[in-house]
Amino acid sequence: MEAWIKAIFFPGFVFLLVVFLMIFYLERKILADVHLRTGPYYVGKWGLLQTTADVFKLLQKEFIIQRRANKLLFSLIPFVAFLMVAMLIAFIPFSEHSFIVSTSFDLLIVLALVTGMPPVFFYAGWASKSKYSFIGGLRVVNQMISGEIPLWLSALAAAVFYGTLNHLQIVQESSWLGFIILLPAFLIFVTATLIVTDRPPFDIPEAEQEIVYGFLTEFGGFNYAILVLSKLVELFALYSIAVVLFLGGFKGPVLPGILWFFIKLAGLYLFTFVVRASTPRIRMDQLLRFCWKVLTPLALLNLAFIILVKMFIS
Amino acid sequence: MGNSIATAGYTFVVEESKEISGEDLGLLQEKLLQLNWGVQHPASGPMRLKVWVDGDEVVKVDPDIGYVLRLLEKLVEYRTWINAIVNVERACFIDNFGTMTGYSIAAEKIAGVEVPKKADYVRTILCEGGRIVSHLIGLGSFVGVMGVHTPMQWALIAREKFLDAFEVYSGQRIATASIIPGGVRYEPTGKFIEKMITAVDFLEKEFIPRYGEVFIDNPTLKVRSEGIGVVPKEKAVELGLAGPALRASGIPSDIRKDYPYAAYGELDFKVVTKEEGDCYARYLVIWEELIESAKIIRQAIEGLPEGEWRTKFPIKVPPGEAYVNVEWARGCFGFHLISDGGTGPYRLKMRAPSFANLWAMPEIMKNVKLADVPVIFASLYMCHGDIDR
Repeated sequence: MEAWIKAIFFPGFVFLLVVFLMIFYLERKILADVHLRTGPYYVGKWGLLQTTADVFKLLQKEFIIQRRANKLLFSLIPFVAFLMVAMLIAFIPFSEHSFIVSTSFDLLIVLALVTGMPPVFFYAGWASKSKYSFIGGLRVVNQMISGEIPLWLSALAAAVFYGTLNHLQIVQESSWLGFIILLPAFLIFVTATLIVTDRPPFDIPEAEQEIVYGFLTEFGGFNYAILVLSKLVELFALYSIAVVLFLGGFKGPVLPGILWFFIKLAGLYLFTFVVRASTPRIRMDQLLRFCWKVLTPLALLNLAFIILVKMFIS
Repeated sequence: MGNSIATAGYTFVVEESKEISGEDLGLLQEKLLQLNWGVQHPASGPMRLKVWVDGDEVVKVDPDIGYVLRLLEKLVEYRTWINAIVNVERACFIDNFGTMTGYSIAAEKIAGVEVPKKADYVRTILCEGGRIVSHLIGLGSFVGVMGVHTPMQWALIAREKFLDAFEVYSGQRIATASIIPGGVRYEPTGKFIEKMITAVDFLEKEFIPRYGEVFIDNPTLKVRSEGIGVVPKEKAVELGLAGPALRASGIPSDIRKDYPYAAYGELDFKVVTKEEGDCYARYLVIWEELIESAKIIRQAIEGLPEGEWRTKFPIKVPPGEAYVNVEWARGCFGFHLISDGGTGPYRLKMRAPSFANLWAMPEIMKNVKLADVPVIFASLYMCHGDIDR
């Protein structure tokens, strides 16, 4: 297959759009199940098209920029955010052959792009010139920076263990032994992912009962859809990285590789949804204390442990 | 935009052309930021809290109320003695039975009417049903302000069963208008009792175990609400807290026990108190009262006597005054009713518990984090309809 076909269709844009609509649908169905409700039901078979209908509703909406907002920045930020996270997808091997690019610095590029996100979301809040958005922007910077340190450290643990930054090579070298040794790193990575992508219980920048919708407050219609989508893509990309680094990627018996990849991903998403349905949001100072006093030291210790293991193995 | 809106009579002049910079927004002024927590806000309800924050710390809170003022006290003066219940029950629609009972007892006191025993028991059943309905929403909204909507959904399912029972009884699910001076309005049929038992069964067998497993002793919930908004015993009395918020500070004040009305004197129940006085204690008081209320309903249904369910209430009531307190879901609700010998009340003053809690809130919200504002607000268990009346 030619690379541009890949980028547009199979592991690229169209495929991912369908995947996101399905993930969003699943989130609503699973949440509804925990809530003892039915969830989406009327649009399409089993309500499968409900999320599609919602997205089209957002696309039709009026394009509102409030008077005091910084117009250029305000309209630009959603696309910048989307572009930055969409690039992450290019480096994920969904199966042995379905990936867009593969370099020897895959993991480094992905982590660098994720680290670039806080200023984008901060500017989204700043450009809105609204008090709630401003507080949301400040919170998102605080939170993402403190979450990224453990994220880096735990991802590097895997890189040290396998001795490479290339995703394909990591998947090929993965084994049960690797899974067990990297289990602590995996747990830290998933927690840090939840923090970095503002998922509940760490959805502090978007705490609607405190600061309405954080930096998303003033966005509406298409801009809003793109910004929310970029947050979803970020979570998807980081979970895919978790599957690649710690769960053996597309490896698995009988079924084709891509199916195994999405089964593992679905497990992670299920965990996220159940946490969302049952865990209250924590406070900013509690989160910072947790990040800097618990998660970061643990990630450092874990890295030291992996280096020790590596010394004995090789 | 604060200052740019000039009020000249009733015309609001908005300066369209003026560019508003960050300083005008209050972002940099005195390093304090004024947030309008309401009226259009996901968790405020129809009321506005002016919150001044210094970074993440709340410096001062100033409630601004009056968005749901309906002049209920005045409207009562244009009604007959019995019709007035529809205005009284709308003080807060979530638990409407408590307010109707209080008004009816006050009217009966002036008129010197003795209520049949069966009416007392039916009032007790309905009042406790209303309390359960209200407490369910209280639990749901308390956890709801921390971003989890599961408790509210579960609570609403349990609430539906009680609303079904009210519908069978009065034909209405929420504004039932079913307790009148002189007894209760409708005959408590076997169908109603059956529905009520179904509802209590569902609450005790399905809701309470399920909810208790997940959202009581939930570690994250404890992290968020323990030690937040602490009100010591003396302070609670000084501030004039009411209802579950007062009992969470360790004061066993319950009108049902202290000055029994309806059939509460003959039933066995305990007053729930907690010593801590923080948000989590208030949440637990609501939770345990829910369990107590279910027991009270069971006892009242068992002890339901035979006989009439209402007596004749005179059209004209002799001049007089009465003050009656009832333990409403959200606290002690006082009714000062005056008759001048006419066909309707001359004046009714309602003392609302939510109003008392609201004016204690700025004291409690000193030097807390911004994220604690909604938690304390929800834990004080207020109803906006009740604040404004």
